[in-house]
Amino acid sequence: MEAGLNYPNRWTISSLRHAVRALSRARELSVLLALLLVSAGIALATPYFLTTDNLMGVFRAFSTTAIMSIGMVMVIITGGIDLSVGSVMGLSGLVTALAFQAHLPTFVSVACGLGVGVAFGLVNGLLVTAARLPPFIATLGTLSIGRGLMYIITKGVPVTPETPEAFSAIGQGYLGAVPAPVVIMVVFAVGFSVIMSFTTFGRHVYATGGNEHAAWLSGVDTARVKLIVYTLSGAISSVAGIVAFSRYLSAEPASGFGVELDVIAAAAIGGASLAGGVGSVQGTVIGAALTGIIANGVVLMNINTYAQQAITGAVILIAVSIDVWRHARRGH
Amino acid sequence: MKALVPLLGVAALAIPLTFAVHSFADAKDVKELKIAVVPKVAVPFFDDCNTGAAKAATALGVQYQWVVPQNTQGSTQVRIIEDLIAKKVDGIAISVNEPKSVEAVIKKAVASGIKVLTFDSDSPKSDRSMYIGTINSAAGETMGESMAKAIGGNGEVAILTGQLGAVNLNERIDGIKKSLAKYPGVKVVATEGTEDDLAKAVSTTESIFRAHPALKGIFGVSQVGGPAVSKVMATKEFGSKKGAVKVFAFDDLPDTVKGVKEGYIQGIMVQRPVTMGKLSVEHLVDQITGKETAPKNVDTGVNVVTADNLGSYTK
Repeated sequence: MEAGLNYPNRWTISSLRHAVRALSRARELSVLLALLLVSAGIALATPYFLTTDNLMGVFRAFSTTAIMSIGMVMVIITGGIDLSVGSVMGLSGLVTALAFQAHLPTFVSVACGLGVGVAFGLVNGLLVTAARLPPFIATLGTLSIGRGLMYIITKGVPVTPETPEAFSAIGQGYLGAVPAPVVIMVVFAVGFSVIMSFTTFGRHVYATGGNEHAAWLSGVDTARVKLIVYTLSGAISSVAGIVAFSRYLSAEPASGFGVELDVIAAAAIGGASLAGGVGSVQGTVIGAALTGIIANGVVLMNINTYAQQAITGAVILIAVSIDVWRHARRGH
Repeated sequence: MKALVPLLGVAALAIPLTFAVHSFADAKDVKELKIAVVPKVAVPFFDDCNTGAAKAATALGVQYQWVVPQNTQGSTQVRIIEDLIAKKVDGIAISVNEPKSVEAVIKKAVASGIKVLTFDSDSPKSDRSMYIGTINSAAGETMGESMAKAIGGNGEVAILTGQLGAVNLNERIDGIKKSLAKYPGVKVVATEGTEDDLAKAVSTTESIFRAHPALKGIFGVSQVGGPAVSKVMATKEFGSKKGAVKVFAFDDLPDTVKGVKEGYIQGIMVQRPVTMGKLSVEHLVDQITGKETAPKNVDTGVNVVTADNLGSYTK
């Protein structure tokens, strides 16, 4: 629970020193360092990395993972896990596509897609809180149901409906020089960081994960907290799914397959502990950025694309090891 | 002093000449041209394309990059093309997994001055300059005819394909169905997708055999069909199918060729992937240097290979 305790309440010198020390202790620093090192390495190796176009493109490429990882880290902080995010992302995009195919207006089609995310999230939450299933099992079940539904509905053929120009703006549009998905990612990241660091609800999420029984005894409605975070995770995944569909305008049956691993990796790199109680939205987004930048660097530097996964795995291990070492040194 | 005038004259001529030479190939030496070739995914068929493309690139002296997507999703190829645009390559040749999703990014590439063409699998509505590959519908028709003759114009047949959304595979299936329409006694009882994954293809083939015990023929429309059906027929449970069920497959993977030699497979449609790779690089370079201004699709054709002509065909 490092986030809440160190915020300065007066702009005195000692408070500023407090803030700097807190910053240097922050788990996110190791990841940020890893990110900056990898970026510097790629920038030195190729002149095409540090161009506005390329960087914006990279941000847009990892934005869907980053958006979903925000929901995932909240679930992980409560001590749970959500394996269904990939299926929910794919199914939401598919339902939106089908709504467009049925000539429903944009607003309704997007609402249908979001509805899928909220529904799956609620089901996950109820399975975990009311039916008391372990989160791994519950979300594994919804992952399989979601994936199966996608294949049943599409029969293996991608759905490519006619969509209005305005809808493509979500995935393909720009706000100035910044691609729309990146704007969405930033809005979500800032919004949820604030919620997690400055609101009662955020503190309750950390408390539930840190020590559920103690939190419950202190008056935190842990079941309600968990229900909310699972629903949020589902809803956020559906946002990512709609953005992805808007970008490619094709809802493929395998869309989102395996994405849950990237999302969990982003949260873990960003400092979240799978045991619960620790983690942050900021760290998670940096974690997503790291894997996205490696993928970009591999193509820019003409590295064998088969090596990409191996390189990503190695960088993840190094980044997390540095983080663990720093904290072991401090005796945390 | 007197020598100065002719010297000045030469200089006066030389300067505009160097500018003229520069403006020809857009100030780029052929050695500086960057060509990227993007296959569908990591399966053996594309290794042949890589061979042909790399050889042509070396012969022309251009820089060459082979970028393999990690899965068959459209979004993966979109990201690769975006990275290639950022890298400012001069030409991209791509075998498309999902035709619609790459339309927007191909448009962006072409708008930024990159020459784009498709090979093996097309995105027909995109801005690509040309398609180099097999005329799949014709290949499918030939396959259908061969099968109809092999089973005597009567019986149940099944179709085993790769990705259900791939344009090239569906054109082959259309060709098969068109030619089989002439044989009312032949019925297509199953069309199954396998994502071109061998394990999935093997289990799908087994399911087809079990569900249709009277099956007389099976088409392997993508490169995974030959190996999968051979492996299934080599097992005890389905050993009786060998020779009784006629098999026509696509592409000459080593397992497929072995299948023909050992009698599991009656005929294969062999494409020319090496030629596809070679022509992709050559046409891209010609378009970049301005030599080719009105590109047209190229049919690289198919060889029909049976046990008789196994040793003697070119790719």
